[in-house]
Amino acid sequence: MMRKVRMTGCERVSRMIERKDQDCIPRMESFWNDTLKRWRTEGMVDDPNVIVGNDFQGLCWSEPFPFPGQDIVTSEDADTVTKRDAWGQINRYWKFREGTPEHVAFPCETKEDWFDVIKPRLLAKGPSVDLKGAEWALRLARRQGRWCHLTGLETFEMTRHLLGDENTMIAMIEDPEYLIDVSRTMTDLVLSDFEYLLANGIEADGVWIYGDMAYRSGLLCGPPLYRELVWPDHQRMAQWAHDRNMPFVFHTDGDVNSVIEDYIKAGFDVLQPLEAKAGMDVRRLCPAVGDRLAFIGNCDVMIYATNDRDAIEEEVRSKIEAGKSTKGYGYHSDHSVPPSVSYETYCFVVDLVDKYGNYD
Amino acid sequence: MELTQLTEAIKTGNRKAAGLLTQEAIDAGVEPKAILNSLIEGMDDIGARFQKNEVFVPEMLIAARAMKESMVILEPLLVAAGIRPEFTALIGTVQGDLHDIGKNLVAMMWKGANFNVIDLGTNVPPERFVAAAREHNPQIIGLSALLTTTMPSMKSTIDELKAAGLSNAKIVIGGAPITQAFANQIGADAFAPDAASAVEVARKLVGSQSTAVLA
Repeated sequence: MMRKVRMTGCERVSRMIERKDQDCIPRMESFWNDTLKRWRTEGMVDDPNVIVGNDFQGLCWSEPFPFPGQDIVTSEDADTVTKRDAWGQINRYWKFREGTPEHVAFPCETKEDWFDVIKPRLLAKGPSVDLKGAEWALRLARRQGRWCHLTGLETFEMTRHLLGDENTMIAMIEDPEYLIDVSRTMTDLVLSDFEYLLANGIEADGVWIYGDMAYRSGLLCGPPLYRELVWPDHQRMAQWAHDRNMPFVFHTDGDVNSVIEDYIKAGFDVLQPLEAKAGMDVRRLCPAVGDRLAFIGNCDVMIYATNDRDAIEEEVRSKIEAGKSTKGYGYHSDHSVPPSVSYETYCFVVDLVDKYGNYD
Repeated sequence: MELTQLTEAIKTGNRKAAGLLTQEAIDAGVEPKAILNSLIEGMDDIGARFQKNEVFVPEMLIAARAMKESMVILEPLLVAAGIRPEFTALIGTVQGDLHDIGKNLVAMMWKGANFNVIDLGTNVPPERFVAAAREHNPQIIGLSALLTTTMPSMKSTIDELKAAGLSNAKIVIGGAPITQAFANQIGADAFAPDAASAVEVARKLVGSQSTAVLA
């Protein structure tokens, strides 16, 4: 069965967020680069966005670096290279393949690093977004009929970039005022990037904020510290979007079941990508909160990686049908499609999204 | 001298108090082994509350840091008294994976449970696990992986450890994509879903349930 397309992606996504009738569910996907490399050897000729039928378009990426453009190699060996990046982090990366880097050092090892060096640098610099790039992306989005969004990082993610995981979480308990200062400052910088784009003629349909808050067993910092120290800036970002008639989409990996109600209270409209292996499940969430929060994602890439067609069909069918029951659901996998998924298997997934994703 | 205050300082992650109370206990002539047990009791409490979602990673981090503060003071006395951790654990992130947060948390909790922890770091090839296992003769070997693409490295590591005749050491695996089913499939002895569970799992594997190991 083919996808029945009678709306633009922009109309479809907007109606999905408002729980209005749609022709079919909106869709998008994320891939590891190594996956695309594999698929090109297996016959993929199109842009993967074309294969999926992407309905979304990012206009910018707001990531306020204290050291824009910095990319200094500090050491290397046969397999890895260690670099100081635009955040001021020192990370060790694979040379010839993708993967999460090893974090070696962070720019704010002490509170003084933040107040004396990093914060003044951040406040002195201009916007971190590319206006020309946003203009180009907006033209593309309008031509393709895609739902376009201002995109940036949220505060917990940026704080971890600056302080590192350990210092961030220790400061949450021992020096919350410091944490709040970092959080407020970084949130202000992202919102000022968005203001800059809007003031220069960029029109967006929504705001999409990225930040990995959780791991497989729950929130990294736990719900009480989240509510006290991070949530106020999440609410502020969502309110900023709503004040400009834009819905707010939030991306986080991991198990965030314990703070779903907090997200709704903060004004989040959509949650993505709902990592299945961390216990996120739209089959449970849609009946529970689907009238107040829309979802994009949750189809388990670990099941795709089995290349077992029966298991994959059950996964995609059951998640899409649960999502469609509220009209507030879009297709995406639950993470990024890994290279263990064959091109043939992924084409089968897209066929399933065609088959089960229509509303009539 | 009552050691409950010291245990409380560990539970609440009060590093300064932990150091002061450790020194006070030493000065009062309390047996080093008893002091150590009170520290482990504090870490056990944090681990148990973590598993019940009463505390989270930040609380675990400050508790481990408080224990470290105490151990700096206590360790020379333990060494002098010939008291060493009964069990040794090797830990590392498997080859192809540079991720270290989960591995570091497990190492921290194992140290808190008084295991002698040898941390091999990230991107550890099977042959390094084999060599380190020969050198340190651990009872536990912990393998960590974040990425689905590096999960096969766990199997090759286990295969090489077994081929080298090192199957006496019990192998615990963990990481974001890891499941009990995968642990069974590749021949691991156990799966730990989080850092606190890793303590419980390791103790069970070595046949020790609690601080009684030091009694």
